[in-house]
Amino acid sequence: MIWLAIAGSAIATFLVRSTPFVVTIRGRLPPAASRYLEALPVAIIAALVGPAVVAPAGTLTHGAEPVAAALVVVTVVWRRSLLAGVLVGVIAVALLRTT
Amino acid sequence: MGTVLVVGTTFGVVARQSGLQPVEIAGMSLLVFAGASQFAMVQLFSERVPTAIVIASVLFINLRHVLMAASLRAQLQRLPLAGRIVAGFVLTDESFAMATGYFRRGGRSLAYYFTFAISLYVLWNLATLAGIAIGSAIGDPRRLGVDFAITATFTGIVVLAIRRRSEAVIAVVAALVSGGLALAGASTLAVITAGALAPVIAVVTRR
Repeated sequence: MIWLAIAGSAIATFLVRSTPFVVTIRGRLPPAASRYLEALPVAIIAALVGPAVVAPAGTLTHGAEPVAAALVVVTVVWRRSLLAGVLVGVIAVALLRTT
Repeated sequence: MGTVLVVGTTFGVVARQSGLQPVEIAGMSLLVFAGASQFAMVQLFSERVPTAIVIASVLFINLRHVLMAASLRAQLQRLPLAGRIVAGFVLTDESFAMATGYFRRGGRSLAYYFTFAISLYVLWNLATLAGIAIGSAIGDPRRLGVDFAITATFTGIVVLAIRRRSEAVIAVVAALVSGGLALAGASTLAVITAGALAPVIAVVTRR
């Protein structure tokens, strides 16, 4: 099933990237559709964060994940560095889980 | 380029820690070649989400590439079909940003685009392999907090991507709705439902 998901995801990604180079599309996308498509990645990735923060491993968090996620936001806003944010988040969650 | 190495290595580590086999992880980087989507796949696999929803989520995350490809097509139109297919396969946010800047400055060489985009592909796959090796060497992921790396990565990607207030609102709404749905027991559909609904805010609000 994992390989089916990988193959399907590969095909979906490839089609999305290549179709405009191969097929002639006439006319322009309505502005509302462009705005929707531009906002989509941020929304999906943010939607992945929600469950992992409030219900990691399927059960209600004990508080470590929301605090660590907030620290990641602060770190990335401050340093503009993904790596710094990930390191702070991982260390924070490891420390908070032991307390 | 440095970012690709860091994110690719992180991907290999968290994918390995989540229990995926090395060949599956390497296969994702070789075939899918999409950073955020691959992280999303790892998380959705660990939540045992059905295959169709995994594929649909990846499709939604990458739909933006239609807009990017459409804006580059004038420059790539003179290539033969095979060249355009390869150009599409290696199209990423990074190669799009590089190509847009290059063509706007008056650049004409398509070799420039291919060199950059294919280098990113090679580096992404090498970094993935390094991450797999590191991930295999680390012990219990929960004890070290490594399982949280994927969530921290998503959080950081969202923060760096936000340029307007409306996008911040969309991100917060999407996270709250999906978190609420997951708590309510609808974890299978939480991500795709919240992710597809929140961008409606961008359609109905003016900038």
